[in-house]
Amino acid sequence: MNSFTRSNQGLPGPGTEPAVLEMQGVSKVIKGKAIVDNLSFEIRRGEIIGLLGPNGAGKTTTIRMMTGLIRLSSGDVLVHGQSIQKNFKQAISQIGAIIENPEFYPHMTGYDNLRQYLRMSDGAGASRIDEVVELVGLQEAMTKKVRAYSLGMRQRLGIAQALLHSPKLLILDEPTNGLDPAGIREMRDYMRKIAEVEGIAILISSHMLAEIEQICHRAVVIQNGKLVTVTQLAEAPEARSEVSLAIRVDRLEAAQTVAEAVQGVKVTGMDEARSELHVHLPDGTVPELVAALSEAKVGVYRITENRQSLEEDFLKWTGGNRIA
Amino acid sequence: MRNFNLLVLNEWLKISKKRSHVIPYVILLVLSLVVGYISHTFGTDMYASAAEFTSDMLRPTGIGQVLTILVIIGTAGIVSREYSQGTIKFLLIRARSRTAILASKYVTVLLYTLSMLLVAVAALFLSGVVFYGLSGGEAGISTILTSLLYSMVYCAVYATIGFMLGILTKTTGVTIGATIFATMIDKVVIPREFYKYVLFPNLDLSAYQNGGAPMQGMTLSFSIVLLCGYTALFLLAGFAVFRRRDVA
Repeated sequence: MNSFTRSNQGLPGPGTEPAVLEMQGVSKVIKGKAIVDNLSFEIRRGEIIGLLGPNGAGKTTTIRMMTGLIRLSSGDVLVHGQSIQKNFKQAISQIGAIIENPEFYPHMTGYDNLRQYLRMSDGAGASRIDEVVELVGLQEAMTKKVRAYSLGMRQRLGIAQALLHSPKLLILDEPTNGLDPAGIREMRDYMRKIAEVEGIAILISSHMLAEIEQICHRAVVIQNGKLVTVTQLAEAPEARSEVSLAIRVDRLEAAQTVAEAVQGVKVTGMDEARSELHVHLPDGTVPELVAALSEAKVGVYRITENRQSLEEDFLKWTGGNRIA
Repeated sequence: MRNFNLLVLNEWLKISKKRSHVIPYVILLVLSLVVGYISHTFGTDMYASAAEFTSDMLRPTGIGQVLTILVIIGTAGIVSREYSQGTIKFLLIRARSRTAILASKYVTVLLYTLSMLLVAVAALFLSGVVFYGLSGGEAGISTILTSLLYSMVYCAVYATIGFMLGILTKTTGVTIGATIFATMIDKVVIPREFYKYVLFPNLDLSAYQNGGAPMQGMTLSFSIVLLCGYTALFLLAGFAVFRRRDVA
């Protein structure tokens, strides 16, 4: 299904090189209320991290603190070992970001807008504009005024702007917002490419849990400003010992008897309407079960895996709160 | 320094890429010609030469005031519009300090003021040549330059007020409204001792010409010191707030 491997093999682990981003007990207190409370996590080179949390969890506040737009009440953010508070210029030069909606000067063309940001970055030549524009596929729109851009085009221009100074960390707030399905897919492929090829770390905050699940290596889940969990989304297949399957068969009762006879298989339920048998079993037992079923002349039509989706996990972690 | 110049260039482009940016210059030109025409047709030889006409009209009591209002309208949004457009986020996540970014904006405001003044001088002189001719009278280039200086001070202080208000309120409308209101009431004199320490009576330095004074006990150097103090205060307030403010 998905040829992309999420495993992080080959990348140096923590300790061998400084993390691209290090959140050290970051807090933001506004009027006595902790919007973000003692948040710590880190992002390593080439990693794609999802930032998840229900409404008002403090995602955007966290991102604004990372980019120096708002002050930290306590703690520190280190970008390549440089503090965003003490060495703002060095730290921010490693970050490219889109925070909430990408907003540009509407009366200027896409090209003029990018040139504005090029003049504010060090060491990037004019040819870099052509490079990033080609990367996001906006060549035709560059001479148009941004006023005439669709949200999807502004989103692409936002990415171009963020990559202009070749940052080490890309921070994207809802990057697929306003993109059509083709655009979302393109964006996903593109983000994988820059993470893998150029080793740029990416932090994505998104509504869409499925989106995060498909692209991210890890997800940082926060609620009420506190870290709930950091979960590895990129489990290698062999690491999972147990699987849940739904098997569609022609004779349900017979299938149940057969399945129960195989050692290690637990029948968790039956769906009469769809003629499906739900089983839970060790990964290695699957061929055995399939063989047993065909031996007993039970016709097998479909075998699908019942994976617990990130959404279920998410609701469990955040206590069923609405998704941001 | 090169980095800073590029920041100023950025700000200048943001203003000049607007299609409407020529309008204030056109207004100045048209207004100068109209004022020249009216004073020539209905007045009885008010001015002896183009230089006299120009230097008189350029003062804060003449075209200088209109010019100030145009400058305020033109520059009030330089900070506040970044907030209302949302472009402030992309602006502040660059490897440039907030101080440098704000300073480049202030320099741009001053450059804009200067450009407007130069256009006003040229337009008024042109109008003066058309209606009064070049020769005659005692006024010369130095009189024009003195008037230009008075207007420049008046205009720059107001531009600074507008700049500070734009930072504090983050609203272009309030900034324009409040500053224009100030230009309207600044001619009112409250005959009390404390009033000479207020900004308004000190704004128009041309009042000291020919040995006069806006109020008793005020001198040119007194006004200059006060204007410098106020300007420094406005800038300090603006920079302090802009540097520290959370961008939400």
